[in-house]
Amino acid sequence: MAKKDTFNALVNREISDEVAELLLTKYNTLSAISAASVEELIEVGLSEEAAETVLSKIGKRTTRKTAPVAKVKKAVPELKSEAMEEVFRERTLTAAEIKLKEMADAAGIFLPMKIITDIAGVIEKADLSNEIYEKLIATAGRMYSSHLMDKNESTGVMAAHSLGEPGTQMNMRTFHYAGVANINVTQGLPRLIEIVDARRVPSTPSMEIPLIGIAAEDESVARHVASEIEVTSLLDIASVETDITNMRLMITPNTRKMALRGLEADDIVDKLNKVKAVRGLVRMSDFQIVITSDEPSYKKLQMMYDSVKNAKIKGIDGITRAVLSKVGGSWKIITEGSNLKEVLKIEGVNANKVMTNSILEVAEVLGIEAARNSIIHEAMGTLGEAGLDVDIRHIMLVADLMTNDGQVKAIGRHGVSGKKSSVLARAAFEITAAHLLHAAMVGEVDSLEGVTENIIVGQPVTLGTGAVNLIYTPRKGENE
Amino acid sequence: MMRGITKRIGSIKFSCVSPDEIRRMSATKIITADTYDDEGYPIEMGLMDPHMGVIEPGLRCKTCGCKVDECPGHFGHIDLAMPVIHVGFIKDIKLMLESTCRNCGRIMLTAEQIEARRDDMSEMKDLGGGTIDLKNFSKETAKDASNKGVCPYCSTEQIKIKLDKPTTFREVDDNHKLTPKEVRERLERISDEDLRTLGMDPATCRPEWMVLTALAVPPVTVRPSITLDSGDRSEDDLTHKLVDVLRINQRLRENRDAGAPQLIVEDLWELLQYHVTTYFDNQTSGIPPARHRSGRPLKTLAQRLKGKEGRFRSNLSGKRVNFSARTVISPDPLLSINEVGVPFIAARELTVPVHVNEHNIDKLRKMVARGPEPPMDNGYLPGVNYVIRSDGRRIRVTERNAEEVSENIDIDYTIERQLMDGDVVLFNRQPSLHRMSMMAHRVKVMEGRTFRFNLCDCPPYNADFDGDEMNLHVLQSDEARAEARILMQVQENILSPRYGGPIIGAIHDHITGAYFLTHKNPRFDRFEAMDILSKLKDIDVPLPMIDEEGKEYWTGKQLFSIVLPDNFRTTFKANICQNCDFCKKEDCEFDAYVKVRNGQLLCGTIDTKGIGNSKGKILDRIARDYGAERAARFINEVTRLALGALMNRGFSTGIGDEDIPEEAALQIANYNQECINEVSELVESYQSGTLDQMPGRSHRETLEVRVMKVLGQARDEAGRVAGKHLGLMNPAVVMAKAGARGSMLNLSQMAGCVGQQAVRGERLSRGYWNRTLPHFNKGDLGAHARGFCSNSYKSGLSPTEFFFHAMGGREGLVDTAVRTSRSGYMQRRLVSALEDLKLTSDGTVRNTVGTVIQFKYGEDGVDPSRTVRGKAIDLDDLFAEVLGDDADTLLHIEDMDTGEDYGSREKDEMEYTEEEDGEEYDDIDTDFEGGSE
Repeated sequence: MAKKDTFNALVNREISDEVAELLLTKYNTLSAISAASVEELIEVGLSEEAAETVLSKIGKRTTRKTAPVAKVKKAVPELKSEAMEEVFRERTLTAAEIKLKEMADAAGIFLPMKIITDIAGVIEKADLSNEIYEKLIATAGRMYSSHLMDKNESTGVMAAHSLGEPGTQMNMRTFHYAGVANINVTQGLPRLIEIVDARRVPSTPSMEIPLIGIAAEDESVARHVASEIEVTSLLDIASVETDITNMRLMITPNTRKMALRGLEADDIVDKLNKVKAVRGLVRMSDFQIVITSDEPSYKKLQMMYDSVKNAKIKGIDGITRAVLSKVGGSWKIITEGSNLKEVLKIEGVNANKVMTNSILEVAEVLGIEAARNSIIHEAMGTLGEAGLDVDIRHIMLVADLMTNDGQVKAIGRHGVSGKKSSVLARAAFEITAAHLLHAAMVGEVDSLEGVTENIIVGQPVTLGTGAVNLIYTPRKGENE
Repeated sequence: MMRGITKRIGSIKFSCVSPDEIRRMSATKIITADTYDDEGYPIEMGLMDPHMGVIEPGLRCKTCGCKVDECPGHFGHIDLAMPVIHVGFIKDIKLMLESTCRNCGRIMLTAEQIEARRDDMSEMKDLGGGTIDLKNFSKETAKDASNKGVCPYCSTEQIKIKLDKPTTFREVDDNHKLTPKEVRERLERISDEDLRTLGMDPATCRPEWMVLTALAVPPVTVRPSITLDSGDRSEDDLTHKLVDVLRINQRLRENRDAGAPQLIVEDLWELLQYHVTTYFDNQTSGIPPARHRSGRPLKTLAQRLKGKEGRFRSNLSGKRVNFSARTVISPDPLLSINEVGVPFIAARELTVPVHVNEHNIDKLRKMVARGPEPPMDNGYLPGVNYVIRSDGRRIRVTERNAEEVSENIDIDYTIERQLMDGDVVLFNRQPSLHRMSMMAHRVKVMEGRTFRFNLCDCPPYNADFDGDEMNLHVLQSDEARAEARILMQVQENILSPRYGGPIIGAIHDHITGAYFLTHKNPRFDRFEAMDILSKLKDIDVPLPMIDEEGKEYWTGKQLFSIVLPDNFRTTFKANICQNCDFCKKEDCEFDAYVKVRNGQLLCGTIDTKGIGNSKGKILDRIARDYGAERAARFINEVTRLALGALMNRGFSTGIGDEDIPEEAALQIANYNQECINEVSELVESYQSGTLDQMPGRSHRETLEVRVMKVLGQARDEAGRVAGKHLGLMNPAVVMAKAGARGSMLNLSQMAGCVGQQAVRGERLSRGYWNRTLPHFNKGDLGAHARGFCSNSYKSGLSPTEFFFHAMGGREGLVDTAVRTSRSGYMQRRLVSALEDLKLTSDGTVRNTVGTVIQFKYGEDGVDPSRTVRGKAIDLDDLFAEVLGDDADTLLHIEDMDTGEDYGSREKDEMEYTEEEDGEEYDDIDTDFEGGSE
């Protein structure tokens, strides 16, 4: 059976029957042939020339293998030559802020900019004397420094507890998206687990796409943008029938649905002609689109039907639905499915404000800093949705740890915990035996700096009060 | 005991043991598979050889001469007749075989490649690459070197090697099986230099050691045999496995020496390989696990270590302790929040070591003389259970020898005295999800058999009194006591580091009490006022007011102000606030605008927003500005005051509180019927296809959404009508509005209508074919057929409604069970990932290696438990302090200080369906060792 298919495939690729037969004495599949070298093919009994042509005809694989490598090499210098545009968006300080900052600097008091901005926001409107300004700064400085965290505090454990404890109070259900759209978004504990797991694709990817310009104001323009984003498959706009007697597919476009999505019949023909199974076979006939099979095979016809049925006519890969909603007087699109990179290219989209809940996509498109912010935003959102209050500093720490080395790492055995420096700590977490054996093989040294290791050997941990030592050097002759 | 220099283990190095070293450190060679002779004595050179340590009391170890518990045990060894591969290293062996030449043993990379690899490796080390990074890198090196056709050094053609799981190597071309002997020979040929390139350290582990020629036999103390009641001995699983190894080893040797056919020798060799493999890991994939006679799989080395019950997690990361107690808990509102009531029996058993010095010797002598069971005539007095002499000898104090022992007490002795009032102990309830699950309390020894503590401590422990048990640990060193007192006492933990608000505060009745004390400022005559205040100690009673008739009276707000700090100042809106569009502030008709100036409550009602746990703003401010001690005092006083007020007024709730007048019931029933009709109309239009489809939704979904909406309205309307008729003075309403317990949703379900039951957020739909219950027609989509309960809990559910309600309730239970295990595993992973991070003295957060995780903790270095609703400083405080009361007018601050909530929002705001306050199942295994190990 397999051999027969291979034979057909070879013939399809304009290889003569004899050569194909010869090839099939040794090989069973196309890939096996393409993997073979010219010499090996000659051994089968082909001439060198024939062997080379065979390989070039089926040998997409071999050529492909080298092509991307070359591309990568080319791409590197390109990147370098194209200077990145540096984007600065410095916030201009208000008069009050500058004044406060200067006074604080003069007084030698450190205050985070946030506090200064907050104070300035309140006193801007009031007319206050310099004396009061100074007093404000001094008091704020005192309050701030008394609220600082103690040194050697085990911030990590605090963050882990603060994030883990409310987990028991969350629920397991997914909720409908707040607003008009009936888009399911995973919420609650499963979503939180998903975030710390750094899953490649979230279980319910979703985007929030605010629009800009007239698209934000005009519903019909917004609808047009949405239709650019949402994937339209052939079945959404047309009905497909198989005409077995004539071995062809009849596609009847639904004009109303097409108009709604801003499509013409010609577009469909163009798109369908790019679909692999029916390449070059699609043409218009009256109001129908006809695809005539080039092979008298029902199998082929069925295959064509399957690939045409779900062919993408319009839209962005991965976005299965796009729903409009009006928030604060301007339109925005909420989607099921996420593809940040492509959405950013669409006209009418407010590219500065597009949000996706797929953290790894953010990391890929916008970089690790953005991914870090995305983790914080998503985690805060999930906890907030459940009505739980967790200080943002805890989530920041988790996000910073996850993104620390430039890649989004999961919290768990494949990520942060599996990369710990201590053998004992890793062994105590998961996959105990493997870690111990490997440690023995490479002669690993555990320097007992973390918490778990020290608990294992039974000595004080290196955090909090265990981090400080009192060293006393008795002076000679003091006690004698 | 606690004296002398404490040494710290600096580091631990792991390494493999060479066969030579196994033989050298071996106390005895094991040659026979028999363990004990007929008299029951261990056989020399058997698996229970007394050279390997002793497990029976009275015997002495033949190697070190020590008795049981003193002798640490000694390793023995088995010389294997033929080499055998160690399963744990199988993958590494394969990589090494593939990456090195089969002839010359050199790594199949050119000199330059090796050079480059080594350079990269040392650079990685310099840059702080962890073991795991290096491991992956070496793996890549090996991969690079493998799959070469020809060795670059000796030009030998290479043959691909295939691994037949678990331990057999084959050469691909002729299917020749590589015996462990051949493998070992090949590994021997790899040079030390090449090993370093492959990331191994030849000093700690030569690859040929991974093919065993000698097997270390663990000491008997590691695998003690148990003598059953019947006198039979039951051996440890490891011993069983070693017996197997020895037997086959013996047979293999005999057969080989006798020159048996190759086939037989190979079979035996493979059998030996199997036994050694299962001896290391009995869960190796690809081979059946070795079983005990009873059919239970044996627990061999790897199984001893891994998993939740393994050595690491159960004995090394968590340890059993002495000086601890566990019993049922019960409440005692008269205890301070930092006290714990300990029953006499427990106190007599738990001891604190006291060092005898010249200042306390007389006191301690008297104490010892009292013996372990002092008479209870004058109440509880601590006795002494043990005296430890300066040479370390322990003397048990009994009634009889008490006098004598007490006389002999000298300086430098240590006595273990029983627990007494004021001792610092740790108190804990599992699951210990956050640090407030273990706090230090002061002991108060009392009668009874339960631990008792103040009700305000329930939220941090997540405790209730339906049979919960808690643990108590007595601290044994001064250092520990000091740390516990400074860091762990209850008052130090009033502010939760999770959200920077109080987690300990007034709950339930305290809030109702405070509400009645302050709401609409009631008047109390002298008798009532003194009755309420009699619960408090050391207070200054303010001067009474005089009413129109010349009688003395005190107002509730006056009484409440007694417990406030003198110069206290705050403004906020109470929980009963109706969120009017325009706030009338001081003139609020609901008395919901709370204003405190100079420690006097000027207006407003004190409820959960004032003193409640997780929301209490007064509490929060006192804890932050006046310190932990003051906050603890405030909580103690305010709860007593509130309870006093509540007892003075009297408060009860019951089923009668949910009575609603007939016309209200009728109104609700009518509205329900209207909604049900509306649903029927919707269903009809759905069936006839005239229902307008919502964008992006199917017809059916549209119907469901609209029906849910209509029925939701029905319940809300019922609640509204019921709420209106219950009135604001209804005890149940008071509790809900003040935030003490229950919500308006609960009430409306009791009095009005239970509402739609849901599973997975949808109307009920499963059960029978096309219907939920056989009481309905097939395909019925109406309200009642899909789980709408139009009755109230009070009026009673109809049989079908009852069934639907059970369905919804079951989902809640399942949800809880799943949730606990899921979140438990998530927290374990979080803790494991974050446990090593600490704030260093330069303000950065770093891990153990010194990698900076954050340059400034939380971007401003502020401790979340010291923040004000997450903000580094409270602007209102700032302006109030600098500008005084003029702040508002000067800065035109209109709506500041309304403040958001801490902690969780009201449940009914969040959830459509009710969440039953189900019991959490702590006992369920909260561990997910996801995937296979």
